[in-house]
Amino acid sequence: MNVKDIPQKEVFRYLGYHNTIPSETIQSVVIDCISELLNHCSIHHTYKIFDCTIQHTKIIIDNHVIIESKNLSKNLNECNQVILFAATLGVQADILLKKYSHIDMSKAVIMQAAAAAVIEEYCDQCQMEIEKTLAKQKLFLRPRFSPGYGDFDLIHQKDFITLLDCPRKIGLTLTNSFLLAPSKSVTAVMGISKTNKHCHIKGCEACTKTNCIFRRGDDAI
Amino acid sequence: MSILELLGSRIVFFDGGTGTLLQQKGLQAGELPEIWNIEKKQALIEIHQNYFESGSDIVLTNTFGANRIKLHDIDYSIEQIITAAVENAKIAAKNACINRKGYVALDIGPSGKLLQPLGDLSFENAYAAFQEMAIAGEKAGADLIVIETMSDIYETKAAVLAAKENTNLPVFVTVVFDEKGKLLTGSDVNTVVAVLEGLGVDALGINCGLGPHQMLSLAEQILENCSIPVIIKPNAGLPRNENGKTVFDVSPEEFAQAMEKIVDKGICIVGGCCGTTPAHIKALYEHCKNKTLLPIIPKNKTIVSSYTHTVEIGNSPIIIGERINPTGKSRFKQALREKDFDYILREGFSQQQKGAHILDVNVGLPDIDETQMLISVMKELQSVIDLPLQIDTSNVLAMEQALRYYNGKAMINSVNGKKESMDAIFPIVKKYGGVVVGLTLDENGIPETAEKRFDIAQKIINTAQSYGISKKDIIIDVLAMTISSDQFSALETLKALHMVKQQLGVKTILGVSNISFGLPQREIITSHFYTMAMQYGLDAGIINTNSDAMMHSYYAYRALTGLDNNCMNYIEQYGGQSSITLTTHLHTDISLSDAIIKGLKERAKQAAEEQLQQIEPLTLINTELIPALDHVGKGFEKGSIFLPQLLMSAEAAKAAFEAVKIKMGKSGEIQTKKDKIILATVKGDIHDIGKNIVKVLLENYSYDVVDLGKDVPPETIVETAISQNIKLIGLSALMTTTVTNMEETIKQLHDKKPDCKIVVGGAVLTQEYADMIGADYYAKDAMATVYYAQKILG
Repeated sequence: MNVKDIPQKEVFRYLGYHNTIPSETIQSVVIDCISELLNHCSIHHTYKIFDCTIQHTKIIIDNHVIIESKNLSKNLNECNQVILFAATLGVQADILLKKYSHIDMSKAVIMQAAAAAVIEEYCDQCQMEIEKTLAKQKLFLRPRFSPGYGDFDLIHQKDFITLLDCPRKIGLTLTNSFLLAPSKSVTAVMGISKTNKHCHIKGCEACTKTNCIFRRGDDAI
Repeated sequence: MSILELLGSRIVFFDGGTGTLLQQKGLQAGELPEIWNIEKKQALIEIHQNYFESGSDIVLTNTFGANRIKLHDIDYSIEQIITAAVENAKIAAKNACINRKGYVALDIGPSGKLLQPLGDLSFENAYAAFQEMAIAGEKAGADLIVIETMSDIYETKAAVLAAKENTNLPVFVTVVFDEKGKLLTGSDVNTVVAVLEGLGVDALGINCGLGPHQMLSLAEQILENCSIPVIIKPNAGLPRNENGKTVFDVSPEEFAQAMEKIVDKGICIVGGCCGTTPAHIKALYEHCKNKTLLPIIPKNKTIVSSYTHTVEIGNSPIIIGERINPTGKSRFKQALREKDFDYILREGFSQQQKGAHILDVNVGLPDIDETQMLISVMKELQSVIDLPLQIDTSNVLAMEQALRYYNGKAMINSVNGKKESMDAIFPIVKKYGGVVVGLTLDENGIPETAEKRFDIAQKIINTAQSYGISKKDIIIDVLAMTISSDQFSALETLKALHMVKQQLGVKTILGVSNISFGLPQREIITSHFYTMAMQYGLDAGIINTNSDAMMHSYYAYRALTGLDNNCMNYIEQYGGQSSITLTTHLHTDISLSDAIIKGLKERAKQAAEEQLQQIEPLTLINTELIPALDHVGKGFEKGSIFLPQLLMSAEAAKAAFEAVKIKMGKSGEIQTKKDKIILATVKGDIHDIGKNIVKVLLENYSYDVVDLGKDVPPETIVETAISQNIKLIGLSALMTTTVTNMEETIKQLHDKKPDCKIVVGGAVLTQEYADMIGADYYAKDAMATVYYAQKILG
């Protein structure tokens, strides 16, 4: 990934700029942060395909993992296979964040937003690669859906960590409170379907906190 | 024959992968393989036996994840699982090995957690989990311990210490590198070798992650630096994703051929990892069993490391930054007493920027707990700065603890020729590894002559050798004494330096600055002495990197002695400058309040310094600093200023306050801080950026912030609130899963300290949520806490 691959407007959105364009100084710090992250981080991902069955709001993955979620079952409607996916910017992103928290808090905040944009873009690119492979088998991919979206409980982070062997494969671990460590990481379910059914519900839009200033929407730049 | 004896006699063979074999025998998805040690014993015995029959000398027990962090809520204890696992392997050895011994290695894999400060597992808890395994393994009769598939050198250190401190078994360690030769947590090959050799493991190497072809160059790199036996255990090629399943492509024959090349380089312990089978091991055995063992040549490199990289002493002069030291620095002393780690870290960052290779860390003050302080400062430094550290203390307990928790191979400052010093320091150098500074003084003080200092150096080296510490891990300081009291002292020091270096063949170090003590314009003398010392063979100088004169000596010396390729470093430093004195353009026409509003840090500091020559510090705070901050705060509230700008202004104000602090320190005035406020990210939560933002802003308004950090247990917050009688407490939490701990903290605070107010904030919180968990106030953004503090505390 190059600096230009990372959508700066997403960074501005995470910083709460909504429909304002930041000053040139801030914009150049945004670019610095993105390139520093890309230079320092060793970004990794892993995924696996599992069988899944859906019974109303209950999703059963690999015959033994049971997830209860209305939102996810809707997202996976008519899928009988899913991809479990995990990606991380690694410990280096957290180290950079910590470093700037000590010496320059404004840069730390921008770094935080830039890191979020980098990991999202990375996930998008991985997803496109997977889509290409599946397309050869005339299969389609549903949008990413992560624990914490809607009623998909965070406790299921542990299923990703275990099923994908994340600590060993990509160095992604879970704390006792089900937080991902390194912090700039993503886990997600992607349904595999035989029909190219457009699915509108993505993470941000699925959230019930409709007055959030960071919410993605038409009025955002 | 013990495994260590076997190791010196021929190539030694490990087993291969077990995961796929267990699946073939019916291990279901989601089932814990470790349980099979007890419930499907026969399956494990067969697998182990198969490997022994294929030529393995050592098999690993099926205990990779049998630690209390991964295995809980099961019907068996860790000891039961490990005992059964060792027993299975021993039965297999007995069945398969006739006329030879089959060795059983207790397999210890990673905890699956990330260690603090990046994750929530403490070093002690990691240690305890590995300790439990090691004790059970030895009791059950394992012949050795193999710590494998590690991707964090710090966690590996915990495991090695647990194995070595609690058992008498040989310890082998293998880690996982990526193709660039890095662990997932950033350590490079040389660092891993330096740290593990320092800890005294019996063999080290790599497993998993890569196939035999990719491991060849890594094997070579290890061999270049390593003085102990090296282990290589690749996967059967690089993993490939086929329909979402992981597959490995390298056949037994191809595997064996590739491994043969690795063995020819000097590797003496081989085996396989993921995707390898008894057939791979059989082929490997057939190809390599008759190979001659190449001798292991000791590498005499003097190496220290952080957790990411090593610094070799002895090629080009090494700079050790001396600034993290309270001696003669009242601002630094204040920072230590107030636990102002930000200040100390900034000293670290600035030295790194100026070109230091290693940082000396001395935090000794008579009225503080040095051990605790040293560990805290060291951990803080290591969490953000990747330079190796030189632990500088005369307190042996503090030194021992610092070396225990240091992440890497440290420099140890220091031991001296006194028996008492050597008796205390050498055992801990031997145990934890490190390069130790030997000062040429003894019971009779510092000798005047070079010859006598040389004698002490020799005594130090000989005594170290009797502890098993090699000369490469000693660096001698022949001590620079000021020329103001003895005009020949510099010459004597240089003579001693030369003798020690030439005749004892040991590396040298000097605290350079002492030479000019008591003289005017000390930099002139110090920097010239520094150049002379380098010319006489000084390998590492402990210097003030903030001094331009010293850095000029350093860059000029390297350029003049052919150490700086095409003078590139020199040109990089000084090219493009019209003269040596740098003039920085600092917008000199901008006022202090404008500098704060615009977020110009450097100018704010300079403007404050200028104004402080005319007006009193307090007046400056009240007439310029606070109004500027208020202006920015209001803009943020209205939505015309955004978070990054608010914080840039806060940083600029902070720089101005720093100038105020220095001025007040000089005039002996004590800064009146407003009331204390506790800030903490609640237990279970490791996301503390929001809390840190609030801290910067509160400090701008002169509140005395007691920052308890992240992942803070409710009890710690309550105790601090009571013991320091604090009336306002700010708590942050990011995720729904940690808000329960916030609620618990609030409950305990309301019970035990009813007169305090609690303000909460964090991504997941709303007014309703805050009300529900009993908070007194919900801060919707960064400034809201400042306004609430002003309302409650004034």
